[in-house]
Amino acid sequence: MSPSSPVIRVADARIRHDGNARFTPDGVSFDVRPGEVVLLLGPSGSGKSTLALALDGLIPHAVPAVIDGTVLVDGVSTTDTTVARLSETVSMVFQDPDAQIVTGTLLDEVCFGPENLSLPVEDVLARAETALRQVGLWERRSENPDRLSGGGRQRLAIACALALRSPVIVLDEPTANLDPVGTEEVYAVLGELVRGGDHALVLIEHDLDAAMKIVDRVVVIDRMGRLAFDGPAAEVLREHVDELLALGVWLPSATLAGLRLRSAGFAVPSLPLTPPELTAALDALPARPSPVEAPVRTPHAAALVEPAIRVTGLRVSRGRTEILHGIDLAIAPGSFVAVVGTNGAGKTTLLQSVAGVVAPPRGTVEVLGLDPARADVRALARTIGFVFQNPEHQFIRSTVTDELAHALELQRVAPAEIADRVDRMLARFGLTEHRDAHPFLLSGGQKRRLSVGTALIAGAPVLALDEPTFGQDRERAAELLDILTTLNREGTTVVVVTHDLQLVADHASHIVVLDEGRVTASGTTAEVLAGDALERAGLLAPPLVRAFRAAADPAWYAVTRLADLAPAPAPDRSDGGAP
Amino acid sequence: MTRATLPPHRLARDPYSDAPDHGPIRFLHRLNPLAKIAGPLPAMALLIFSSAPGIPLALIALALALLLVGAHLSGRALLGLFVLLPLATVVLSLSLGLWTDASRVDDTPVLLQIGDYRLYAGALLVGATTALRLAGILTLSLVAGLTSTGPDLVRALVQQLHVPYRVGYTALAAYRFVPRFGHELDVIRQAHRVRGMTAGRGPIAALRRGLGTVVPLLAGGIRHAERVALAMDSRAFGASPTRTERHLVPFRARDWVFMIAFWLITALIVVVAILL
Repeated sequence: MSPSSPVIRVADARIRHDGNARFTPDGVSFDVRPGEVVLLLGPSGSGKSTLALALDGLIPHAVPAVIDGTVLVDGVSTTDTTVARLSETVSMVFQDPDAQIVTGTLLDEVCFGPENLSLPVEDVLARAETALRQVGLWERRSENPDRLSGGGRQRLAIACALALRSPVIVLDEPTANLDPVGTEEVYAVLGELVRGGDHALVLIEHDLDAAMKIVDRVVVIDRMGRLAFDGPAAEVLREHVDELLALGVWLPSATLAGLRLRSAGFAVPSLPLTPPELTAALDALPARPSPVEAPVRTPHAAALVEPAIRVTGLRVSRGRTEILHGIDLAIAPGSFVAVVGTNGAGKTTLLQSVAGVVAPPRGTVEVLGLDPARADVRALARTIGFVFQNPEHQFIRSTVTDELAHALELQRVAPAEIADRVDRMLARFGLTEHRDAHPFLLSGGQKRRLSVGTALIAGAPVLALDEPTFGQDRERAAELLDILTTLNREGTTVVVVTHDLQLVADHASHIVVLDEGRVTASGTTAEVLAGDALERAGLLAPPLVRAFRAAADPAWYAVTRLADLAPAPAPDRSDGGAP
Repeated sequence: MTRATLPPHRLARDPYSDAPDHGPIRFLHRLNPLAKIAGPLPAMALLIFSSAPGIPLALIALALALLLVGAHLSGRALLGLFVLLPLATVVLSLSLGLWTDASRVDDTPVLLQIGDYRLYAGALLVGATTALRLAGILTLSLVAGLTSTGPDLVRALVQQLHVPYRVGYTALAAYRFVPRFGHELDVIRQAHRVRGMTAGRGPIAALRRGLGTVVPLLAGGIRHAERVALAMDSRAFGASPTRTERHLVPFRARDWVFMIAFWLITALIVVVAILL
């Protein structure tokens, strides 16, 4: 970057939300120069999002918080001006695309910002057209934003930021609510912006595989909210990789794969940061005497045992449209099944029918010999537990203890036994000290653990989860997956609907691919990932799979997850570092 | 269902699509929403106080004629106006008639006698008048209601009545919450049913179920509203006392004509009713 003066200068910033005891961030300084892409990294709770809100003055103007130190935007302290004035220099793109839409058409939406700045109508329209064309949505300008896909709505949010013509755009987890295809769309647009060179981006992102392609600089904040590193992306990630892992910062999967390769004895001189760099590193390896050990995954003796879940000819309609067109499926007990597919493929409908959340036609579903269409709530709760996408939706009692006891009370279990089982469940999910709290007052991760606990406590040997990692940060997602993997090892059959395909590759034993209401592939994870079923269903294989498949030596093609590159460097689990 | 997509049936009617133009005959769609509210307003006030069936009948006829000619009505609207509305009026007339204090109307002919109970013609007339007054207020409000869009009404309120735009546009943004909350409520109900909240019948159990859905709905709603507010702030909402308005909803000569003509016809109906 040229030595031009910074657009944003953060000097020793400390921020404390009203009601919090601690300052996070706690003394962070960095600059953002014109045209630069800065990635903010840090474990959850380090104050990244708080910092993002301070960059355009929402803290302290709109969010009640105390701010020490200075945030200078174009040389002016954010506390001395207004959010409206600052929005001409710094615009924001938030995580939830739905919560950023305020009008009824794409065009109105993009015009909203310039209109607020009281620009003449011609300027408003000119800006809106340029911005919508930049994100490829001009042709759809008269449509209702609700009709766009998640990726489309997030591109719209970027267009709204562009229409403000601000030299800096701050993006706070812009792809956390998107499927991989939507993420690709967003990064294609951001990549174009970066090539244009007119915009500096400040990015908070957990999907580093997508982000690393455009990032120039990395600013790392530690768990206490203090500045840990600030420097060029490649330098920080390659030279401080061990410290970053210890901090609990997520790294690109290509980098983690490079680490695994090193610890498996391969010579990887320079750690790869992106999937193409990983492929290049693989190709540069000298001929290996023994290729990577072929992933040996114990094939489940599915053919021999009675399946835990059997679905035969399941057809489900909502209103006049048929969503599932005759699903046949058998899920072996003890397997960890991921149901994947694009939005609208019928994943959630299938899961809801299996779990009896929406009664399927009689005789089409059998869960451990039980037909959810005929079963009452009690029998259902003993057989299959369902975890909703948003844990808050399923809480019905006013303390954590009551919430867990509810299912047992329905089963008319003796009070002494209820108390005992609730205590054990509280201990197992680390909720003992919150036993008298209201479920809504728990933290996000605690809520999620409680919802899994309530689904399990009646003794259901099958657990169904709808998008359990949707909209969560990486650390919480990893925590939940550890729980699920442990449960699965202990014999629970786990069925998840998800769009996180790396999660699928890392944890699932089987994959079911749904496309437009039909099962297009079903088999072990290795089988399905080795074929082209994901691509045919409009999905993208996880970045690691793509990187290994692009290698010159076919011996690498079988690698689909980090665990295949054993032995692992055994990162400290308690830090929530590497998967 | 991921939260990112609303089910199609929630999108069926798009409340934000531009006000449709159905040609010069369907003139109501081309009028300013405020004219369509202000015109019938005195007539609606009149209906609150009228005590004979003549004025309500005349005003209902006027409103229906206006809608029939000046509005592009869907099949459902036609069904509602010309089948359900008369039916409801008849049912309401009868039931209100049965409740009317008989001692006030016992000088009118007896229509029906069952045992000690006598239904007087006067009672039926009182019931019918009340029902017609209610029907009249409803029909008059539909003159604007069936031919204006929410966004246009907000724009007219801001542009002509100088309602602060912060209030108007915040209300419009909040309007977007409705389908979202509807969907969220469906999911919460499903979740509660599957967890066995259906326990018990009767009003008390139903009340408990209802209260049970309020907490998660409110928690989600407040969080969503906070996020929307931040997104609006970060896009300079409220930056200055005025904002650029691309969609002008002017108050033209024809709006004045419509409004004043409506007032004159209302006055004429009153005069005729008094003279008769």
